[in-house]
Amino acid sequence: MFPATNLRLAVLALLSVFALAACSSSAGTPAPSATSSTGSAAAGWSYTDDTGATITLPAKPERVVAFADQALSLISYGVQPVGVFGRTDLATDPRFAGIDLANVKILGNAYGEIDLEALAELAPDLIITAVYPSDRKGTLDPKSPFYGMKDLEQQQKIEAIAKVAAVKVGGQGLTLIESNAKLAVALGADQAKVDADKASFDAAAATLSATAKGSDIEVTQLYADADGLYLVKPEDEPQTQLYKSLGVKLTELNPDGDYYWDIYSWENAGKAMSGDVIMISPEGFQIADLKKQPTFAKAPALVAGQVYPNPYTAMDYSAQAKAMDILTGYLTTAKKVA
Amino acid sequence: MASSALTAVRVVRVNATLSLGVALLVVILASLALGSNPISPAQVVQALVDPTNDPDGVVWGSRVPRTLLGLLVGFCLGVAGVVMQGQTGNPLADPGLFGVSSGASLAVVLGAFVLGHNSMSAALFLAMIGALVASVGVFAIATLSRDLANPVPLAIAGTAVSALLNAVISFLVLTNQSSLEAYRVWVVGSLSGRGLDGLPPALLVAAVGLALALVNARSLNSLTLGTELAQGLGETLWRARLVGLAAITLTTASAVALAGPIGFIGLTAPHIARAIVGGNHFRLLPASGLIGAITLLGCDVVGRVIGGQAEVPVGVVLAVLGGVAFVAIVRRTKLAAL
Repeated sequence: MFPATNLRLAVLALLSVFALAACSSSAGTPAPSATSSTGSAAAGWSYTDDTGATITLPAKPERVVAFADQALSLISYGVQPVGVFGRTDLATDPRFAGIDLANVKILGNAYGEIDLEALAELAPDLIITAVYPSDRKGTLDPKSPFYGMKDLEQQQKIEAIAKVAAVKVGGQGLTLIESNAKLAVALGADQAKVDADKASFDAAAATLSATAKGSDIEVTQLYADADGLYLVKPEDEPQTQLYKSLGVKLTELNPDGDYYWDIYSWENAGKAMSGDVIMISPEGFQIADLKKQPTFAKAPALVAGQVYPNPYTAMDYSAQAKAMDILTGYLTTAKKVA
Repeated sequence: MASSALTAVRVVRVNATLSLGVALLVVILASLALGSNPISPAQVVQALVDPTNDPDGVVWGSRVPRTLLGLLVGFCLGVAGVVMQGQTGNPLADPGLFGVSSGASLAVVLGAFVLGHNSMSAALFLAMIGALVASVGVFAIATLSRDLANPVPLAIAGTAVSALLNAVISFLVLTNQSSLEAYRVWVVGSLSGRGLDGLPPALLVAAVGLALALVNARSLNSLTLGTELAQGLGETLWRARLVGLAAITLTTASAVALAGPIGFIGLTAPHIARAIVGGNHFRLLPASGLIGAITLLGCDVVGRVIGGQAEVPVGVVLAVLGGVAFVAIVRRTKLAAL
C-alpha cells in the first residue's frame, strides 16, 4: 500500500511539474532581461558584506546563486539569479508563486541540502546567503555555518566554487531591508526600481504607523505545536522589530532572557493570551488545533476569530509594503477583545 | 518448612503488590500536583473539586488528561514488552520490533505531507491506522515462511519493513518542511498537548489488546520452557503466536497513537517486573503494566518540572533516565532467563 501511495504521489508531483512548465512556457513571458551592466569590468567589483568581509571579483558578478530568502529580494529588484537553494520546497513555496523559475536551477529544497555538483556546473560568480546572529547583541559565531548550509565543511566546499556574501538577518528590520537592497544595486539592480519600491514601502509604513497610533489592538505572533506556544520576541526578529518601531503593539511578555523565542508549555499558555490578534506561523498547529487545547481555547483572539496566517515575507521593500498593508487591514477590522 | 516458605513467598508478593500500589498513587498525585505552571496544591485541590475554579484550565485541561494518557500508554507498553519478550524469547526485544512504531510514524509524516501541516487529532488517527497496517503487513510477509512457530521470520520481517518505512520517512522528511515539523514533534514521544479526544478509541483498542495479552499468559508460560516443551504441554503454537501478535499490535498501536513512539519502557518494565514478581506471566503482565505506567508518569513529571516555563518531553527524559536505569538493572541482576 505504501509504495503504491508513494508512486501515485510521485506521479502527481511529476505531472504537476509538467503542468507548471507548460503553464509558464505557454504564458510566453520572456525571461527577464539581464539588468544593464554598465561595463565597469575593467574597474573590477568589490562588496563588503554584513559579516565585514570584502569580496573582490574581476567583474560585476552576472551569474548569482542565492538562498531563497535573499533570492526573492533580488528578483523583486530585477536581479535574476541562475540558481536558488531553499529551506522549503520551492515549487510549492507561496512566496515564489508568480515568479518564473524556468531559467533558475533549484539546487535544494531542504535546509542544508545543496546539490554541490549542480552548483559547480552553474559556474556562479557569487553565492548569496543569510547569516543569523547567535544573540541579541548581533554576535556572529565564526564556528557556525552560514544559514542554509549544513556545516562548515559544506560551507568550505561551496566557498571553493564561488565567493559567498552573507546578509545578516537580525537586529533592525530596516537595516536588513536596506542591506538586501544595497546588495541588489551592487549586482546591477536599477536604482530607480529600488527607489520606486521604497516609496511604496514608505507609504505603507506611514499608513501602518498612523493606524497603529490610533489603535489599541495588540498583536501576538506565534508558532505552536504539541510542546506548547513559541512567542516571537519583537525586538529580536527583524520584521517584528520594524513593526514595533512603527508603533504596532506586539505581545512582549519577557523582552529579556532567551534570544528570539520564549516557549510556553500548554500549562503556561494562559499567560500568553493578551493579544487581540494572533498571527500564526504556517507551520505547526493551525486554528483547529489551537481550539482543541483546553488551556488556550479561551484566548480572546481565538474566540473572536481574529487569528490570521503569518507567512514568511521576504525582506525587500515591495514584499514588506504588501505585508504592512495586510497588517494595517487586521488592525483596522479587529476588535479589542483581550 | 514447606508451609513457612510458601508464607514467605506470599508475604513478598503482598509487599510487592502493596509497594507498586503505593508508587502508583504517589506518581498520580505528583502528576496532578506538579507541572511547568507552579500553581499551589491548594489551588489544584480546589480545581479538582470545582472545575469552574480551575486557573487557566491547567488542572482539567492539562494535568488530568496527561495523567490518564500516561497511565494508559505506560501500562500498554509495559504489557506489550512482556508479550514481545516472551514470544520472541529475546530479553532485548522491544514492542516496536514488528514495525508498529515505524508504520505509525510514516502515517503521521504522510498526513503532514498531504495536508500540509501537522494536526494532532489527525496524527492520532493516522498513527493508529499506520501501526495496524504495518504490523498486518509484517505478519503477511512472515507467513510466507510457513513457519509461524518460529519467531525469527516475524522479527526479520518486522526489521525489514521498519527499515523500508524509515527510508520512506527520511525521504519525505528531508524533502518536505511540514513533514519534518510534524515528524520532529511526533518522534520524540510526549504527553503534552494531546488532549482527551483520542482516549476513547485508543482505550477500546488497548482494552482488546490487554485482554488478548491476558489470554496469552498461559501460552507465554509454556513458551518460556522452549517451543518443543510448550508443544508437549499441548500448546498450539500458531494460535499462541497469533494471539500474542495481536496483543502486541493493539496495545502498542494505541500507545504510539496517543503519545508517539516511546522507548525504553517496553524494554525495561518487564525486567523490573520479573525481578519483583518472578516469571509467572499471570503476575508478570499486570506488574509490568503497572511499572510501565509508574515509570512513564514519573518521568513525565520530571520533564515538566525541570524545563522551567517550557517542558522536556517525556521521550527525552526516558532516553536519559531509561538508559541509565537499564545499565543499572543489567549490572545488579543477572537477566532472568526467559
